[in-house]
Amino acid sequence: MTTIPYILVLLAYGIVSFVHLLPGVAPRAVEERARLLVMVGATVHLFELGGLLMFGAVAPGYPEALSAASFGIAVAWLVVARDRLSSIGVFLTPLSAVMLGFALIAPRHQVAAMDADPVAPSLAAPIHLGLMVAGLAGFAVSFAVGVAYLVVRDRLKRRKLSGLPRLPALETLDRIQFRAMLFGFVFLTLGIVTGGAWAAWSLDGGSWVADPKVWFTAVIWLWYGVALQVRLVAGWRGRWGALFSIVGFTGMVFSLVALDSLVSGFHAYGP
Amino acid sequence: MLGLSYRTAPVEVRERVAFSEVEVRERLGQLRGQGVCDEAFLLSTCNRVELYGVPAHGEAARIERWMAQHRGPRGESLEPYLYRHSGRDAIVHLFRVACALDSLVVGEPQILGQVRDAVKVAEESGALGRLLGPLSRRCLHVAKRVRTETAVGRGRVGIGNAGVDLARQIFGDLVGKRALLIGAGEMGREVAKALLSAGLAELLVANRTFERAVEVAEQFGGTPIGMDRVADYLSRVDVVIAASGATEPIIRPAEVRAAIRLRRYRPLFLVDLAVPRNVDPAVGELDEAYLFNVDDLEQVVERGQHGRSQAAVEALRLVEQEADAFVVSLAEIDVGPKIGALVRAAEHMRELEIARSQRLLATLDDDGKKAVDAMTRALVKRLLDEPLRAVREAARAGDAARVAQILAVFGVNEDGGTGEGR
Repeated sequence: MTTIPYILVLLAYGIVSFVHLLPGVAPRAVEERARLLVMVGATVHLFELGGLLMFGAVAPGYPEALSAASFGIAVAWLVVARDRLSSIGVFLTPLSAVMLGFALIAPRHQVAAMDADPVAPSLAAPIHLGLMVAGLAGFAVSFAVGVAYLVVRDRLKRRKLSGLPRLPALETLDRIQFRAMLFGFVFLTLGIVTGGAWAAWSLDGGSWVADPKVWFTAVIWLWYGVALQVRLVAGWRGRWGALFSIVGFTGMVFSLVALDSLVSGFHAYGP
Repeated sequence: MLGLSYRTAPVEVRERVAFSEVEVRERLGQLRGQGVCDEAFLLSTCNRVELYGVPAHGEAARIERWMAQHRGPRGESLEPYLYRHSGRDAIVHLFRVACALDSLVVGEPQILGQVRDAVKVAEESGALGRLLGPLSRRCLHVAKRVRTETAVGRGRVGIGNAGVDLARQIFGDLVGKRALLIGAGEMGREVAKALLSAGLAELLVANRTFERAVEVAEQFGGTPIGMDRVADYLSRVDVVIAASGATEPIIRPAEVRAAIRLRRYRPLFLVDLAVPRNVDPAVGELDEAYLFNVDDLEQVVERGQHGRSQAAVEALRLVEQEADAFVVSLAEIDVGPKIGALVRAAEHMRELEIARSQRLLATLDDDGKKAVDAMTRALVKRLLDEPLRAVREAARAGDAARVAQILAVFGVNEDGGTGEGR
């Protein structure tokens, strides 16, 4: 799926990642226009991905899944990384760029389920995939902000207070981390429900029960559910929230990138 | 002069060595009573402890021996934390300290008050003499000059702003946050004031004497609470500013741990400005407690200092000039008695000669006697005029050898005696 628009999108994400990782190296003009670059990149990304999925008669496969995740994280960055919060972009834009890079070189495989369901409604795939990607984007923000929280906490605890790039305040990070996790949880839940409905309608039940990705996702859903619950009930915030979101997101990325090549099921990508 | 400060010694060491006012009086008495110093001046603040002494019989080793009795928190020698200055360097150092040029927050106003108090204590103890008396008065004057003639201390980034800066790194903004101020000292009040103007919702004030707590609370529109209620209120505030003169920690880990649970693990920000410290350092190891002491504020403060370095350079130049002027005035004081002796010796000789010429003078009338008297006086004065000017000049240049040489010509020795053996 290495098309010219995709390469341009990757270029945009890549430049912004570079600016984030090595501040002060790129010309100021580029640093100031990082937002614009990602905005244009994400727009092209949306048309390319959505167009291919909906009108290009391309069934969703491994590259599309990665590309969709990359798009979701890019949009998440646009939502979160305004002025003072831009420093957490360090954790988001590179993720987006790397995922898209993988998507471009990944072998073209179709999801097994699509073969099993020749009459899949054209909207089912984008809706299920879109909700999952929104969930992933929420968890990505929660993860990035969680890491930033731990960095700020470490600085304060070790009293390293000067000469470092300014990050948002501890409580601000904690609040955003929680909201992003809640956002991710809501969309993950919706994604699971639509996936279930789609499976119930198109597959003859039964077979999805044995799918490892379904189980893995259920564990992740539980994990985030527990994280939200202990926070709301017992007040386990801050460091706990950060650790929950870092572990949870690592699991999600693992599920997205590697799980399907390790086990087989109907989410797995066919030959 | 010898001492230690926040530059050389961490707060653990300073809190061990810091003297209370009563102790300062005691030590000053000891220093003079035991024949360590002829004159002594002891400055003890939360950021420095410095001894300015004129050693007895000029033996500086006596002061060193006295100092060696003092030990660090683990019984170790204080040697690695000490710095020493003597002569002009010691004068420059005292001036710099008084002018807040050596302070953690350059230009901060507290140090001048602290130096003034220390001068008063030393004066009352009778520890200031011919050297330290004028020096201590001079340093207060220099500090005033620096304050009025340079930009040091103007638009300053104080300890209060450092506190606000840290609070913002934890809370984002302070709107709706509550703080507890323990102690009524100046530093604590300054931090409280800065936090209030940054949007703090409520300030509680606790103090050893409740009346003072009420006073300070009124000043800030806060609420006074009893010192015994501090632990109860820990769970209801977000910021604790500890700046009391208590010698034992007031806030301990167990209380903070309980408070954090009640706060549902929201962060608690503690600033400990006191020396000795008011908050047990172990509190800082608790997960949601963020504890900072006076030393930690230093690095926050330093960020705000660049703009003032130019003013500090100017002030330093002024301090150097004043130190030179003071050294000169010292030399002049030294030479004063010698000049007096020389003038007295010359007058003595004149009277002798007049007495010797008594018979001849008797032939003169009163006008004639007066004329001779006036003429001889004028003659002596004219003769001494040039040598005295040269002596003063040499003294001002600090050239002791030349002073001695000129005086020797007139038979005046080092001690100001005339050496005529009578």
